[in-house]
Amino acid sequence: MSEALSPYIEFKDVQVEYPGRVTGLHDVSLRVKKGDFVFFVGKTGAGKSTLIKLLTREVKQTKGTVILHGRDLGQLRDREIPALRREMGIVPQDFALLPRKRVWENVAYAMRAVGHTRSEVRKKVPDILDQVNIGQRADAFPHQLSGGEQQRVAIARALINNPPLLLADEPTGNLDPDHSWEIMELLKSLNLKGTTVLVASHDMMVIHRMGRRIVTLDGGHVVSDSETAAPVLPSEEPTPDA
Amino acid sequence: MLDRLSFVIGEAMAALRRNGFMTFAAVSTVAVSLFLLGGLGYSYMRAVEYAQTIPGKFDMRVYLVPGTSLATISETAAKIRQIPGVASAFLIPKDKAWEKQKRDDPAITMGLENPYPDGFKITIKRLKDGDSVANQLRAMPVIDPDPGVIYLKEEQHLIDDGLQVMRWLGLVIAGLLFLTAGVLIFNAIKLTITHRRREIRIMQLVGASFLTVRVPFLIEGVVQGMLGGAFAALMLYGSQNVFQNFLLTLSTRSHLSPFPAGQAVLILGGVGGVYGLICSGLAVASTSGAQ
Repeated sequence: MSEALSPYIEFKDVQVEYPGRVTGLHDVSLRVKKGDFVFFVGKTGAGKSTLIKLLTREVKQTKGTVILHGRDLGQLRDREIPALRREMGIVPQDFALLPRKRVWENVAYAMRAVGHTRSEVRKKVPDILDQVNIGQRADAFPHQLSGGEQQRVAIARALINNPPLLLADEPTGNLDPDHSWEIMELLKSLNLKGTTVLVASHDMMVIHRMGRRIVTLDGGHVVSDSETAAPVLPSEEPTPDA
Repeated sequence: MLDRLSFVIGEAMAALRRNGFMTFAAVSTVAVSLFLLGGLGYSYMRAVEYAQTIPGKFDMRVYLVPGTSLATISETAAKIRQIPGVASAFLIPKDKAWEKQKRDDPAITMGLENPYPDGFKITIKRLKDGDSVANQLRAMPVIDPDPGVIYLKEEQHLIDDGLQVMRWLGLVIAGLLFLTAGVLIFNAIKLTITHRRREIRIMQLVGASFLTVRVPFLIEGVVQGMLGGAFAALMLYGSQNVFQNFLLTLSTRSHLSPFPAGQAVLILGGVGGVYGLICSGLAVASTSGAQ
């Protein structure tokens, strides 16, 4: 299969079992093309976060294959995981910002941790912060920022390695609707620049508005994929975070 | 490379400052344990050094049966010198012994005939060889069983036992303290890992290498161990000076040989550093958060 036709990400009959025989995923098969924007939706425990964690290799499948850009992630050795993660940007739900560091220091810290020199950091940090429209708050501490601004900083940090893939686990989970929409707009703009974006979310209002591909999970199964059929969306009842 | 190094060292130093109390506890315990270990080791070495000069002082005397011929005496001298553990054997002819006795105590010896047989003055190489040499001498038919072999058996045993007690006591006390110091370093590093969970998670999220995540903790352990070792050397140096001053106040002529301060800092600092590295390595390996 040529590179143009082969999927960028592929889950083939993937099963994940957590300790205690708790099943995370059941025979999941999915394909994601380069440049796609995909939402994984579902209730708590549906398996959407597990899909993201399989790609970051925080979780390893019990059965099946996970392929990213032609590479079988199940075959990766532990020492190869950091290099894998440098090929992607990861946005956690809780922002994971260092409270005693300013906005620019939070991004700089992550850059220094992956081996960027001080001069590279000085040059690149302002650009990244401008890219996510938080440059004007570079000297603020996290507690001085709104939830949306904090999430922008987390996204800025995810962009330090210029990743072709952005993974966001409930990026709007802690945000009000206005800030949620701001973040989605930001992810959309990154996607328009060519970044493949995968988002695990249960924020149905925002997901509908975005009008992108939706993969619905329930009990570890893929129950619908808007790319092949109309989505079967989970009920709107409020659920705690996955 | 230097930039990389400055990042990991900076992280380690920040953690040492942040966990000031645990750092202090670990460094001071390493210092005390290495002070005792080093101090006892140093004292033991000095005591052994001194003990090695003792056998020459605690010589043995043996007397030959009366009427032993000159040929047998020279043959016996050669045999004695061949006994393992014998450093030297000098013949003391009965005439010379009697002359000396008369010189030393003319009142008692006046008018008496020489009661001395020919004999040997024997020195041994090590204190612990005393009994074995004495037994082999007793087994020689030419040695007079009465008085037999004369030497300070009890005193030699006392000194040898004292050295043994010192060695074992030192090993046990310092070993226990050393173990405690290790546990403290281990705990200090585990505490640091817990405190820095968020930083570790961020490093993992952005793809920092295993070494970048782990090396700061190892550096932290090495610094704690080295500081402890260096303080132990300074404490030993101080103790030696205090003891020397005490000897001076007693107006004795005794004095201690100069303390090898530079060597002590290097050796104890090195030992502490290696120990810190081992303990912090164990702490990192036992904490999945740093994997």
